[in-house]
Amino acid sequence: MDRNISKCYDVIVVGGGITGAGTARDCAMRGLSVLLVEKFDFTNGATGRNHGLLHSGARYAVTDSESASECIRENMILRKIARHCVEETDGLFITLPEDDISFQGTFVEACRRAGIRADIISPEEARRIEPSVNPSLIGAVRVPDASVDPFHLTTANILDARAHGADVLSYHEVVGILQENGRVGGVRVRNNHNGEESEMRARLVINAAGIWGHSIARMAGVTVNMFPAKGTLLVFGHRVNNMVINRCRKPANADILVPDDAVCVIGTTSDRVGYDTVDNLEITPGEVDILIKEGEKLAPALASTRILRAYAGVRPLVAADNDPSGRSISRGIVCLDHESRDGLAGLITITGGKMMTYRLMAEMATDLACKKLGVSKPCRTATAPLPGTGGTDGDRPGKFYSTAHNAARGRQGNRVREIEEQRAEDRALVCECEEVSVGEVKYAISQLHVHDLVNLRRRTRVGMGTCQGELCACRAAGVMCETGKEAREALADLGSFLNERWKGMRPVAWGSTLDESQLTATIYGGLCGVDRLAVDD
Amino acid sequence: MKYDIIIIGGGLSGLTAGIALANAGKRVCIVSAGQSSLHFHSGSFDLLGYDARGEVVEHPLDAVGQLGPEHPYSRLGKSGVQRLAAEAKRLFNRAGISVSGDAIANHYRLSPVGAMKPAWLTIGGFVHSSSGTSLPWKRAEILNIQGFLDFPTQFLAASLKALGVDCQVKSFTTDELSRARKSPTEMRATNIAKVLVDKDSLRKVADRINAISGNADVLLLPAVLGFSDGQSLDDLKAWVKRPVQYVATLPPSVSGVRTAVLLKRLFAQLGGTMLVGDVANGGQFKDGRLVSITTEHLPDEVLYADEFILASGSFMSHGLKSNYEGVFEPVFGLDVDASGNRGDWTRESLFDAQPYMEYGVHTDEAFRTFKNGNTIDNLYAVGSVLSGHNSIRQADGTGVSLLTAFG
Repeated sequence: MDRNISKCYDVIVVGGGITGAGTARDCAMRGLSVLLVEKFDFTNGATGRNHGLLHSGARYAVTDSESASECIRENMILRKIARHCVEETDGLFITLPEDDISFQGTFVEACRRAGIRADIISPEEARRIEPSVNPSLIGAVRVPDASVDPFHLTTANILDARAHGADVLSYHEVVGILQENGRVGGVRVRNNHNGEESEMRARLVINAAGIWGHSIARMAGVTVNMFPAKGTLLVFGHRVNNMVINRCRKPANADILVPDDAVCVIGTTSDRVGYDTVDNLEITPGEVDILIKEGEKLAPALASTRILRAYAGVRPLVAADNDPSGRSISRGIVCLDHESRDGLAGLITITGGKMMTYRLMAEMATDLACKKLGVSKPCRTATAPLPGTGGTDGDRPGKFYSTAHNAARGRQGNRVREIEEQRAEDRALVCECEEVSVGEVKYAISQLHVHDLVNLRRRTRVGMGTCQGELCACRAAGVMCETGKEAREALADLGSFLNERWKGMRPVAWGSTLDESQLTATIYGGLCGVDRLAVDD
Repeated sequence: MKYDIIIIGGGLSGLTAGIALANAGKRVCIVSAGQSSLHFHSGSFDLLGYDARGEVVEHPLDAVGQLGPEHPYSRLGKSGVQRLAAEAKRLFNRAGISVSGDAIANHYRLSPVGAMKPAWLTIGGFVHSSSGTSLPWKRAEILNIQGFLDFPTQFLAASLKALGVDCQVKSFTTDELSRARKSPTEMRATNIAKVLVDKDSLRKVADRINAISGNADVLLLPAVLGFSDGQSLDDLKAWVKRPVQYVATLPPSVSGVRTAVLLKRLFAQLGGTMLVGDVANGGQFKDGRLVSITTEHLPDEVLYADEFILASGSFMSHGLKSNYEGVFEPVFGLDVDASGNRGDWTRESLFDAQPYMEYGVHTDEAFRTFKNGNTIDNLYAVGSVLSGHNSIRQADGTGVSLLTAFG
């Protein structure tokens, strides 16, 4: 994996979240030679740990009109360029009896100022179009919120970056910033699979590492004041709502319920945490309690719906440069030119913002990079469709396709035609909850940077359904063996994957989730003895 | 309706208790929801495979004395366990389930991913070895059905190699099996078993195997034969030229389903009544005794009995339930042994000893249950619904199910 060591890139992008992926794509589309490095798997950070909400911007309309305008612009762009990652659900902002109905007027007025369509509808109409909504609501506003899959969105950006010539390395962690004559000239990376280190050179380094950008900056000897804010979310076992449901009040804890594929997600809490906790976030019973309590107010059916798992991410909030205490935190986009700010040429930091404003963030970082490199090509990412949305639709209208084909189409978009489904072996289902075929698993392994089962889950949803990997984990591990993974390694990976699933189930382990955990332990511990084999190693 | 004894739960424990009591001349009714943990069966029954520290137990009877007082075996005592283990083995034979092994010394079974796990009794035809670190062959061939994903051959092969067995993996299909594969969800162990109930289809499988297999010491096949009896296992063995042994697959377990079928058949032969697909949903108590129960499907019918046995299983079988606030027994609201603090239920690693696994119905020396602190004189609990043991950590699940059922 240490190809191109001698090559000097125009740009090295650090961080395989959506911002890094989008930046690599934008840079590559403008003709720059690009290397994207990610220390673990793509979407491992905040990109893979949020609501999957394509904000309309309404949530920020009253408190932060700049963010609101950014959101609605990007919302409309992503619907076009990433159609296969977006589900156009629309959203409701509901007023409950305990809320101040007069806020509704302020809210709608602010939305319209920001360019967000906001229609006041009657409580009856709200109950009709979204039957799961709390029936005691006293007001509702309909806005163009939507649901977006950040995993597939990131994958599509990476694929397009590659298609435009970018090199992409996952499991390569930046352990040092190369500096010569007062400017950054590349990075030192460690391959996290085998521990080998190597140097990668570039004219510019773009730090897009989210909360970890704090330490990347520190390695370069500059300071970016980041304040980790933990957000915890709960995934429910089925899709209770078809529209996004928000509370019509100033943003608070646990007041957004988003339908995502076959499930729905409530969140989030927001708590400042220590920087030392960001790699191992603990979910507390208190957080779970508040999410359940507030979630039920949005959709009472949640009270009787199984909770599949809990997860938490860290927002990379940045304090203003003149406010090191972090009191005036912004959720807006922060693009830092370290040359003008700190006198360190060759380094740009792009951070803050939101998952769904990644494209704009990438554009800002790439504009700055191009300016520094003397490239004048304009940004085209707002109009060029991503792979999956672009490309030709291989499906013939009227022809019958299997449910697995249609499910894969939902995940991979038009790229579904690259999935082998001629042979019966390839059509066999690995994951029945999410309808993932052997062919799709093989496609992901060969094309989508899949090294282990967690990678595979993020690319295909294997193990994300109600059973949380009960049988599909072993089947998928078997397919990985067939494609060349060593059996012992695949078994160890299977054990880690099951434990990763358990980590999310444990904070909500009661009811069916506890029953399911016992079943999983019975199959993999009792029947198979996966734990015993791991011990033998 | 009035019975001598009503049993709630038709899994291994409920069926065993039903057979023992019907054999003793009692009028017995079993209320069974349908599926049971036999669907996750390994082809072997375990009595006690690991001690409290997770070390392999070689002599289960000797290890009974080291168990804590809360363990169900401690109430039976070593001699009780020995006597009941022998009785369980006789019961299997009578039901037509051929098993080998005994309670004096464990042998080892080969798990679907190739782990050697201690076992007490193993069903005829399945791989078993007296040693946990070796197998009695030099060369083996693993033969799988094309497109059958629930038999992880690569893992098995790697484990066999580690145990010193030279190993090849091959796959085959027949027209009938290929047809089944057209529907991507049809390639499950029990579905294949149904296809191969037909003798001609099975014969073609034997022919294919003979055509592709070399001269290995043993051919290892996924245990996908014999849905309702052992005939097809014997047939295939007779038709295939090389020695054949079976390895358990991922669930659903064909051998487990067959075990359930054969036990139900014996129970019916002994005159027992079975309410299949029904669930007990409550009982009427009087003077510290359970008088009658009602079920979901027969809301107007009250089922009376002199004695009742709760054999409803653990959480995964819904014999125990939990919610946000606590653990409870859902049919009668019996007293349970469980922590009231949710934080105590689990441990960080999935494969650690999870405290919730030991939760269950609280019982006295004679396995009588309690409600609101008072003994229910005629309501006993047996099997996995009992507290005080961890069937996954200690590999004692089927043993507890069988032995307490005779009590």
